[in-house]
Amino acid sequence: MPNATIAVDAMGGDFAPEETVKGVARLSLETQLDLLLVGDEPRISELLTRVRHNPERIGVWHAPEAIGMGEKPAEALAGKPEASIAVAARLVADGVADALVTAGNTGAAILACADALRLLPGVRRAALAAVFPTALRHGLKEDPFSLVLDVGAGLEATADDLVTYAVMGSAYARVISRNPRPRVALLSNGTEAEKGTAAIVEAHRRLAELQGIDFIGNIEGIDIPRGTADVVVTGGFVGNVVLKMLEGVAETVMELARFAYKERLAWRMGLTMLGGGIRQLKKVTDWEQYGGAPILGFDKVVIKAHGRSKEQAIFNACKVAAKAVAASIPASIAGLMVESPLRASGE
Amino acid sequence: MGGIRHVYRWDLDKTYLRTDFDSWRGLLRAAWEKASAKVNVAGSAALMRELKALEGARVCVISGSPRQMRRTLEEKFRLDRVAFDEFTLKPNFENLLRGRFRALRDQVGYKLPALLEGRSRVPDAANETLFGDDAEADAFVYSLYADVLAGRVGPAELEEILRLCSVYEDDAQRTLRLAAEARHCDPVGRIFIHLDGYTPPARFAQYGARVVPIYNYFQAAVLLMIDGHFGPMAVARIAAELSQGYGYSLISLANSFQDLLRRGLARREDVSALRLAFEAQAAVIDALRPAGEVFEAFLERLAVVAGVRERLPEKVPIDYLEILRTQGPPGTWRHKRRGRTRRVDDPFA
Repeated sequence: MPNATIAVDAMGGDFAPEETVKGVARLSLETQLDLLLVGDEPRISELLTRVRHNPERIGVWHAPEAIGMGEKPAEALAGKPEASIAVAARLVADGVADALVTAGNTGAAILACADALRLLPGVRRAALAAVFPTALRHGLKEDPFSLVLDVGAGLEATADDLVTYAVMGSAYARVISRNPRPRVALLSNGTEAEKGTAAIVEAHRRLAELQGIDFIGNIEGIDIPRGTADVVVTGGFVGNVVLKMLEGVAETVMELARFAYKERLAWRMGLTMLGGGIRQLKKVTDWEQYGGAPILGFDKVVIKAHGRSKEQAIFNACKVAAKAVAASIPASIAGLMVESPLRASGE
Repeated sequence: MGGIRHVYRWDLDKTYLRTDFDSWRGLLRAAWEKASAKVNVAGSAALMRELKALEGARVCVISGSPRQMRRTLEEKFRLDRVAFDEFTLKPNFENLLRGRFRALRDQVGYKLPALLEGRSRVPDAANETLFGDDAEADAFVYSLYADVLAGRVGPAELEEILRLCSVYEDDAQRTLRLAAEARHCDPVGRIFIHLDGYTPPARFAQYGARVVPIYNYFQAAVLLMIDGHFGPMAVARIAAELSQGYGYSLISLANSFQDLLRRGLARREDVSALRLAFEAQAAVIDALRPAGEVFEAFLERLAVVAGVRERLPEKVPIDYLEILRTQGPPGTWRHKRRGRTRRVDDPFA
């Protein structure tokens, strides 16, 4: 089987293109992936001459424009058709690359993919899925995190969308976490079936009747870090707020511990003795270790890395993309979509 | 001596052979392994065969391996069907017996006089192309050799360079004598540095455009074709060996070519000659198509580079003394490049 080719939007992200190029350079030395850096070719080439890399594994595809993190996605894409994210999405659509990785503007990434790629049959709207560390382990791989979707691809979600997200998340967890029967839950303000917005109540009713996925009902915010569910389904607005809050809490806890470490010698000694455990905890809660979040629903693999991604996060995001390509994630989702939700929603 | 038009001088370890002398284990293995167990750098044997077949070509090998390895190394060349005209090895055993431990690692005090001596055996009109690697100081020594021959480095400067390199007095005197006897000419066109350790090419910018860092011998072959040493068919044969013997695909070759374009070393037009050669040799195309890739994919990769790069100036004056003052003697460079991992006690760092 040929190596996966990953198109990387070199210009997307707060630290692009420097950190993106570094991450890709490291991948070229440590993996068998074929990598396509899409963006300002002269600038990328100049950066490549300054880092250790294997050019046999790296191609550069010139894209003369770039979309900034603060730009309005639709306007920016309309005004910059040769932006790196748009060119990268087209390369994936044309089969030049198997997957797309970007740390750039999320809205622009989703719109560019919507323009270039096809949504899977039965999917009305793509969803951004993120992983979050939990107390419980999940799947045969004992992954220490659960999948939360949608965390920002859209703002509102209908009952149809929520059911689709549940099916897509379930398929993803089955393959990536090697979890044969992932527990799927709806995020709500109570565990009872009638709690939540009209869309959540309706989605609950349909998911309860749905064959093929293990729906465990509603969960509350407190259940996310506990790991009650393997897949947590919510609308993009709530999902994004939840994700950022959980990230903020993790960072704040680490900051407080760092403060304690500096404050008193006795505390420092105690924390030094706990150093191994703290490093492990830091690793589990560090988003850079997970690399990126898949945008599910398209017929190709798309991974959205954090806007603040540096070398390590880009490196991991590309590895996640390669894994998703190897596991044929879009085909797995399409298979499950055909099996269950359309029948349940009566379409 | 007559009839020699071009001299190709090759280093051996990490340039022609894949040798691991970064560890004691690798060093011992290199010393004891049989000729048949030695592994080539991908494409090195194919390229050397093509060069040796050229009319008026002289292939000289100069290696830091001890003279005691001559028989094994000559056997390796025989297995590779590679012929050479000159094969110089380092008198390391003698250095050891005489307690000259600095000389065991020294490159300047060994290679520079050996190169100058080799030059005395070829006509003034013969041009030279040199092949080395990024493991030690090949770019430095080869550039110095070229500049001594061209008269750009005078005796006083050379004496100071040898002193800063901590070359033993007798080796320094011999080098100065050979440099004084050398007939001034400017024969060195290109110095290829095989990036065995993937050293960033920018690190070699201080040596000017004459030093060309390459990642594989397909890149060297393309540049030799551009320079007119041989035709595109030779490049196609080297590509075929890379594909059949080392798993290279059209994509990896295209990326390698694109890297040359991006660094301003090749032009997009240069690919058309290759295309004809690849197509003329159907077997090459078949060999390069393990995954249904087509030649168009190769070309497509080349069409996406923006504009034409300006080449570095051919012969920039190299300040050898400044390099030695800032980086120390060449014997220490390999260790400095590898760097050290800083121990971090802070669990939050």
